[in-house]
Amino acid sequence: MSNSAVSSDSIPITLIGGYLGAGKTTLINKLLSHPGLPPGTAVLVNDFGDINIDESLIRSESDDGTVIGLSNGCICCSISDDLSKALDALREMPVKHIILETSGVAEPLRVWRHCHYPGFIPKAAVVLVDASNHAKRSQDKYVGSLVCAQVEQAHLLVLSKTDLNPGFELNRLTPQLSNQDPDLIDTLLEWRHIDETSEIASSSSLQPAFRTYTWHQAQDITQALLTDVLSTLDESVDRVKGLVATEDAGLLLINRVGDSLNMRCYRQSAQPEHLGLVFICRSSRSHEMHSAASGLGTSSIASQIARLDAGN
Amino acid sequence: MLTLYKARSVITMNPSMPRASAVLVRDGNILEVGEPERMQPWLEGQQFTVDEQFADKIICPGFIDPHLHPSMAAVLLPMEFITAMRWKLPWGDVEPVTDPAAFDARMQALHHSKPAEEPLFIWGYHQLWHGEMDKARIHQVSDQRPIIVWHRSFHELYMNDPAMSMAGIDPAQIKPGLQIDIDQGHFFEVGLGFAINRLNPWILAPEKYAEGLRRLKQVVHHGGHTSIGDLATGMFNLDAEAKALTEQLEGDDVPFRTRLVVHGTRLTQGGRKPEEGPTMAADLLRHNSHRLSFGHHIKLFSDGAFFSQLAQMQEPGYIDGHHGEWLAAPEELERHIRAYWHAGYQIHVHVTGDLGLELTLDILQKMQDEKPRFNHGFTFEHFGFSTPEQIPRIKALGAQVSANVYYLHELSDSYAKSGIGYERASQMARIGSCFAAGINTTVHSDFTMAPAEPLNSMWVAVNRISHEDQVMGAAEKLTQQQALEAITINAAQTIGMADITGSLRAGKRADFTVLDDDPLNCDPMALRDIGICATVFEGRVFPIP
Repeated sequence: MSNSAVSSDSIPITLIGGYLGAGKTTLINKLLSHPGLPPGTAVLVNDFGDINIDESLIRSESDDGTVIGLSNGCICCSISDDLSKALDALREMPVKHIILETSGVAEPLRVWRHCHYPGFIPKAAVVLVDASNHAKRSQDKYVGSLVCAQVEQAHLLVLSKTDLNPGFELNRLTPQLSNQDPDLIDTLLEWRHIDETSEIASSSSLQPAFRTYTWHQAQDITQALLTDVLSTLDESVDRVKGLVATEDAGLLLINRVGDSLNMRCYRQSAQPEHLGLVFICRSSRSHEMHSAASGLGTSSIASQIARLDAGN
Repeated sequence: MLTLYKARSVITMNPSMPRASAVLVRDGNILEVGEPERMQPWLEGQQFTVDEQFADKIICPGFIDPHLHPSMAAVLLPMEFITAMRWKLPWGDVEPVTDPAAFDARMQALHHSKPAEEPLFIWGYHQLWHGEMDKARIHQVSDQRPIIVWHRSFHELYMNDPAMSMAGIDPAQIKPGLQIDIDQGHFFEVGLGFAINRLNPWILAPEKYAEGLRRLKQVVHHGGHTSIGDLATGMFNLDAEAKALTEQLEGDDVPFRTRLVVHGTRLTQGGRKPEEGPTMAADLLRHNSHRLSFGHHIKLFSDGAFFSQLAQMQEPGYIDGHHGEWLAAPEELERHIRAYWHAGYQIHVHVTGDLGLELTLDILQKMQDEKPRFNHGFTFEHFGFSTPEQIPRIKALGAQVSANVYYLHELSDSYAKSGIGYERASQMARIGSCFAAGINTTVHSDFTMAPAEPLNSMWVAVNRISHEDQVMGAAEKLTQQQALEAITINAAQTIGMADITGSLRAGKRADFTVLDDDPLNCDPMALRDIGICATVFEGRVFPIP
């Protein structure tokens, strides 16, 4: 059985993770009231407790009170920590996409594995990070390793409370968005994580609206090569960021948004854990079809990554 | 009507008079413990009988398991056991099956003993002893009868083809990449949930569940218990459980009472605030009956399952570098504890690792700073791993310990090799230190995590012998006296019943466990084999055949 057959008729699940207080509930509330929420979206939460559903949106409620039907064709379910039961119940409903709020103490990877459930497939793990106290919490005696694992296992990071800590950014290759980003909900609905081992060879039925490619740096390169690669990228590459070690200019912090390339020296006492670049291809919705059909960008990035690896 | 029970010896667990030779009982309560010739003032002008059926036996206070799970047990007990460890069950001892051939032979025997078509559920398989399991191996027993083989840990199972078709599982629908190996008939992690959801009509059928509870009633009786604690009532569904428990565990034929301790986070699940919990829990008291009673007790959870190596550990953690898990965010646990602490509850917290214990101790310290309480009964449940420095903290904060000491027997060898290393594995259940520090300390089975046999728990606590026959952490051994305190008076203290049971003295209920041998003087290695000939619950004799 091929991989594409698995995904074509399996319902995708997007995980929303992050520690207690990181803003999961706020995000879910925003999502539920989002005008562009596609019909057939099911939102699974641990407990309705803090979820704030506009009364005018509620169309129906199940007898046991665990499923709420909304007038926009979506549903909201409470899972009471039995995911397999909730998924089996959703199997009977016209559901096209599931947004799953994980518990604040869950490691996304563990839940990700649980989303490999007959009839379902995990799509992306989105993790919220509280910008105002992440630095402190990641050192916490009890939850430090958990909070770090949540960030490490994310495919898309959403930073909350950035107003309390302007300029906060995680030193990671994982794409990061602010929860104030106007495209936040559309982005997370469409974000799809492709297993790195299969991303270049993915079949057409898997074409996502967003893709990320990661280059892990193994040896130093020259600044000239880096500049050349970054300025000759295909137009489908929306963003590039990362940290690269060069022979002639030391550690460089790279941030390329559209055509604007920002490259500056990175000075910190500690050697960063991750060196490399992440390429984010974010097709605008108008030429998404075109890009998806031709696979534009894929071969170009692959060849550029090969150049970086070869060092010439 | 008065009854004078005579015995070879009466062990009272009353430190002011440890031994006696007779107990005088009226209407289910003890009038006097002591020597018959001193009891004359009670007997003058009264009708009484002298009961000599225990004249060559040892009468102990009725045993108490302060932490088990009747609802979970009801699911498991209708199944057949094939296990590497011995389990004494009322319908027969389960002898250890420790190699693959013996496992297959036992499966065959069970298959031939059952009416055709009846599905066969087996529990207790473990690859360490029983070899690799797969569908083909089950088919050698039968490819006609549905057979389900459940792992000892509950976390995985195997099924043959008839079982899959019974459950409506179509192998063609199962795609690769899931936690199901359909060719081997193997279901694990979330794949297990998939299987259970489809087996539920057989597992949770009301008549099965009722049968399971009837079996639990026998198990509890045969273990010699006269009181137990259900330490997470409402773990599945509070109303359904309460109804089933009332039907099966209340009535004149039930030889024990049950302290129901409600599952705190389930209680307020569905949008209620933790602060509403104490009032909701207090409201449950109006359902109390003679044998089934809620009290001002609440159960909460800190870190993950011990059997799954999800206990939260302090440095240096697990050998393979994985981390345990929190069952609730520390802030949430603190919020629940605060709600019940300020409302005056006795709080029982599930803690398995030394980091889980540290967190819970820190929270308890905060509570004591906010609102000092004495005799609050805060109990650390399971108490898998701890550090020596945590023992005086438990004492200073006035808390108590209820340990699953059986972990040491079944898991210390494997945790030494592939968990956390020998030093810490050998010191799990650090209960000798708890006794030395003067902490009220009891032991429990968490049945079905361990056999519901207090004498077996006592045997582990006294000998600290692993299943590979190694003495683990000899310095933490209990004396026989301490271990008997653990399963009687200390356990009664933990479930809030020391005023009525747990020792034998004037005024308490006449709850006895009657033994063939003296558990304080026997060979320590013989403890778990002492015969239990009867229990007495509130003055009524329930023989054990």
